[in-house]
Amino acid sequence: MRDKKKQGNLLDKGNDPAVKYADPKDQILNDKQQSRRDFLEGSGAAVAAGAGISAFGIPSAKAQSANSSATTAINLTVNGTRQMLEVQDRWTLAEVLRDQLDLTGTKIGCNRSECGACTVLMNGQPVYACSQLAVWADGAEIRTVEGLATNGELSPVQRAFVANNGPQCGFCTPGQLMTATALLQTNPSPSSEEVKEALVGNLCRCSNYNAIVEAVVMAGEEGGLA
Amino acid sequence: MSEFTRQGLEPLSTIGNDTPRIDAIERVTGQAKYTRDWKLPGMLFGKVLRSPHPHARLVSIDTSQAEALPGVQAVITYENAQVVWGAGSVNGGRQYNDPTKAATIHRRYIFNNPVRFVGDSIAAVAATDRHTAEEAVSLIKVEYEELPFVLEPEEALQADAPKVYPEGNLCPDFRGEFAPMVSDIGDVEAGFSDADHIFEERYDTGFIHNAQMEPRCSLAHWQGDKLVLYTPSQGISNCRHDTARDLGLEDHQVQVIAQYMGGGFGNKNQNQDADLIAATLSRRAGVPVMLEYSRREDWLGVHGRWPTVQHYKIGVKDDGEVTAMQMVGYSGMGPYRKNSGGISGMDAYGCPNRYREISPVYTNRTTSGNFRAPSEPHGFFGIENMMDDVAYKLGIDPVEFTLKNMRRPTEERPFTNYSLDEVISDGVERFNWQARRKVVPGSDDGPIKRGAGFSFMMFRAGVGTSSAIVRVNSDQEYTLYVGVTDIGPGAKTTMGMIAAEALGTPLSNVEVVWGDTDRCPYSVGESGSRTTIMTGLAVVEAAEELKRQIADKGMPSGNDVLIGSATPTPTTDGKTRQCFGAHFVEVEVDTRVGSTKILKYTAVHESGRIINPTTARDQIRGATIQGIGQAIHEDLLYDPRSGQPLTPGYYRARHLTHKDIPDIDVHFIEVDDGYGPFGAKTAGESGIILAPAAIGNAVANAIGRRMKSMPITRDKILGAMA
Repeated sequence: MRDKKKQGNLLDKGNDPAVKYADPKDQILNDKQQSRRDFLEGSGAAVAAGAGISAFGIPSAKAQSANSSATTAINLTVNGTRQMLEVQDRWTLAEVLRDQLDLTGTKIGCNRSECGACTVLMNGQPVYACSQLAVWADGAEIRTVEGLATNGELSPVQRAFVANNGPQCGFCTPGQLMTATALLQTNPSPSSEEVKEALVGNLCRCSNYNAIVEAVVMAGEEGGLA
Repeated sequence: MSEFTRQGLEPLSTIGNDTPRIDAIERVTGQAKYTRDWKLPGMLFGKVLRSPHPHARLVSIDTSQAEALPGVQAVITYENAQVVWGAGSVNGGRQYNDPTKAATIHRRYIFNNPVRFVGDSIAAVAATDRHTAEEAVSLIKVEYEELPFVLEPEEALQADAPKVYPEGNLCPDFRGEFAPMVSDIGDVEAGFSDADHIFEERYDTGFIHNAQMEPRCSLAHWQGDKLVLYTPSQGISNCRHDTARDLGLEDHQVQVIAQYMGGGFGNKNQNQDADLIAATLSRRAGVPVMLEYSRREDWLGVHGRWPTVQHYKIGVKDDGEVTAMQMVGYSGMGPYRKNSGGISGMDAYGCPNRYREISPVYTNRTTSGNFRAPSEPHGFFGIENMMDDVAYKLGIDPVEFTLKNMRRPTEERPFTNYSLDEVISDGVERFNWQARRKVVPGSDDGPIKRGAGFSFMMFRAGVGTSSAIVRVNSDQEYTLYVGVTDIGPGAKTTMGMIAAEALGTPLSNVEVVWGDTDRCPYSVGESGSRTTIMTGLAVVEAAEELKRQIADKGMPSGNDVLIGSATPTPTTDGKTRQCFGAHFVEVEVDTRVGSTKILKYTAVHESGRIINPTTARDQIRGATIQGIGQAIHEDLLYDPRSGQPLTPGYYRARHLTHKDIPDIDVHFIEVDDGYGPFGAKTAGESGIILAPAAIGNAVANAIGRRMKSMPITRDKILGAMA
C-alpha cells in the first residue's frame, strides 16, 4: 500500500475496513469476507465507488466454493530453477513459494500490501508476493531470499546486514534484502536518502530502520552486487 | 548518520565488543525457521470465527454447513470447547500468579458468550488447507442478540453505562475487590497547602498495538498425551506452564518450541488463546493443526498498550520546589484484564507527598495488555508534559526544574549506583540544549516553528532467579543451554557472549541451545527487562560451577563431559537498582498542516555495562522510533455509533516507514555497579519510555501550545493553533 509499484493489480482501496462501520450487521471479521481472491473476483472497484452489495461488495463464499479449487498449470523460474506447477487459481505467489516450493524465507506479515515482508523479485523488479496471484506469475523469473547467496557466499547486502545488525526479529529482513538488492542493481552506491526512498514499502516494527539503511549504504560502498 | 558513542568502561575479552548475532546468517538467508515455516505430516490449517459486534449474546450457532464442507475435519465452538484461558484475564492483571488466576472473577475462555469486542472469538475450524478453513468459517451461522456497548473508560464508570459484566466496569484487583489501585505517600493535602501555585490538567493517550511483524500463529501436535507446541513465545517456560494448567496437564506433558519468532514487544509473555485453540483442534482432529491469524485478527484479537486518561494536580513553590503531586487515572483494558493497566512516571520525582489512583476499566474495545515498558511511555508523556508546562509557567528551564525535583538516593532507599545527573548533563551538552530550546515557547516567526524538548527516566534493572546449564566435551567445546527465545534483542548472542567471557573461551567455541522447553532449563522469558540480567547471571554462575569442576577433575576425556548448572537467587543487598536515561529532541512543526518533523534526537543511557554494543545501540534506536510513532501517529480509533474499529493495520494506524525515520544519536555511559552479569543492566524496554514525553515537550516548545492528547496528530495541532 505504501509502495504502489509493488502491488500488482490490486485496488486495495476497496478492502478498507473503514467502509464497514456503516452497516455493522453485514460485517464479518473473518478473512473469508476479505480474502484476496474474493476481493479480486468480487469487484473491489464497485465497493470503492460506494455500491452496497454487502459490507465488502463480495459474493458469498458459498457461491464460489463450487469453483474454489480450480487449477492452472504455470511455469516459474525460481532462483534459477525452472518449475512446472499446477496451482490453484486462488493461491498467491507467496503461498506457492512457501507452501508448494518450501521457500519459507519469504514471509507473510499482512497479506495485503501493507508491510513488504513478502517482497520478492519478479523479473528483477520487487513485488509483494502476497498481492500477486500465482497464475499472474506464469512465465516469470522469481528470486527469493534463498537465492541471494551464490555457492554459499553471502551477497554484499547480506554481509552488510550481518555486520551492521540488519535483522532484529528478522521477520521483515527477507523483504528488506530483496528490495535493497533491486536498488543496488540499478544504483550501486545509493545515498541513505535514496535507500529510504527505495525501502519505503518495507516496514520494520522492531524499528531497526537506521541499521537497515546503514547496512544498505555499506553494501553499496563495498561495490554493490558484484 | 546517527552517532553512537560509549564511555566509562573498557571492553573485556568478548563482552563490550561489537559482535554480529550468532544466528545472523540464518536470518539473512531465509533459513531461520519461524512457527509458520514448520510443516508436519498430515497437518491441518485452523481458522477462528470472530465477533462482528462490540457486545452481543450468542443466541444460537449452526455449524452443519461448515462440517459438511469437504476437507473440514474439526469444528469447535463456545458450546463444545470451553477452555479457560488463564492468562487472558486475571484479577489485578497478575500475569504470573497461579492462585490469582484460579480465583479470577471474570474469566476469559478460548470462545466467549457473550462476545465483548469486535474480534472476540466464537468458534474455530480445522481443514486440509487454509482456504477451505476460511470457507468453512464463513459457513458457520450465528444468531446474535446485540447488547449496548461502551468504549471510553471514564464513560464506562458512569452509573448508567452499559455493563461489560454484571458487577460493573471497574476491574477487580488481585484480591478480587472492585477498587482502584492507590498509592498514597506522605501527606498530599499538606503538600498542596504548602504550595505557592497549583496546576491541574487532563492528559489522554491512545491504544498502541504491539504490531509485531509476525502475525500470531500456533502449531499443535499431540504425541499421545504429550502436546508439542510450536509457537512464537517470549517466554517458553511461562507458555508451557500456562498451557499445561489451562489444558489440565502436567508441565512435563507440554513441550514448547520457539526457535525464531517475529517480535512481540510484550504480547507473547504467556500462552495465547491461539495455543489453546490449536491444541484443542488438534486433539479433536487427531493430527497436527497450524492455526494462523490474519493481520487484522492479530490487530483486534491479540492486544496493545492500554489507552489512558490522566488527571494531574501539582503543587509547587515559587522557587520550583514541588510540594505535592496527584494523579487520578483511568486505563481502558478492553473487556478482559490481561495486565496491570499501570500509569507510571510520578515515581521518578522525589517529592515526598504523592497520591496516585488508577482505575483499570472494562470497555468493549479490543483487549489491552503489555507493550514494551507496559506502564511507562504514556505515563511519562502525561507527567513530563505536566512538569515541563509547570517549569515554563514558572520561567524555569525544564532541565533545572528536573535536577531540583528528580528522585535521588536517600539513606533509607540507597541505589546500587546513581548516574542521572551525569546522564542529563551529558545530554545537555551533546544536544546543545541551551541553543536549541526556545526560552519563550512558540517564539519562532512564521508558520514553521522549531522547538526542543527533554525528558528523563529511571527504570527497573533488578536481579532475580533464572537458570542455565553449560557443558564441555573432551574437545573442549562448550554448549550453553538457556531457555531463552530471541524475539529481536539478541538474547542468544548475549548469553553466548556472557558464557564465553565467563569461561575464558572465544564465542565461536560456545554453541547456544535455546527455545525448546525439553532441551533447555527454565528461563524468565524475554519480558520485564530480565533476560540479560537474570538469565545472564545464571550463565555466569553455571560457568563458574563448570570451571570449579574442571579445576577439580581436569578436562573430560573420551566420551565424558562435564556439566555445570546454576539457578542463583541474587539480591541487591536491599538497594534499588535502576537504569537511567535522558532524551533530547528538536522538532519542526509546520503549523499550516500540523505536521511534526524530528530534526535532531539525542538519547543518553546508563544501562550498566554493555554486553554487545551493536545490539544495545539498536535496542535504543528501535525503541525510540517506536516511541516516536506512538507520540505522533499510532492509535486504534473506534466509531462511537457502531463500536467498530476504524484503524486496524499498519496503514491505518499510520506506522512509521523508512522515510519518516530521523537519525538517532545514542550515547551509553557505562558503569559496573557490581550486580548483574559483569555489571549489565537493561536496555530493551527503557528506550521506549522517553520519546513520547520528549516529543510532546518539544512540540509545545515549538508552537507555544501544550498538546494534551497523544498521539499528537496533525488535526490536533491544527485544532490547538486555531
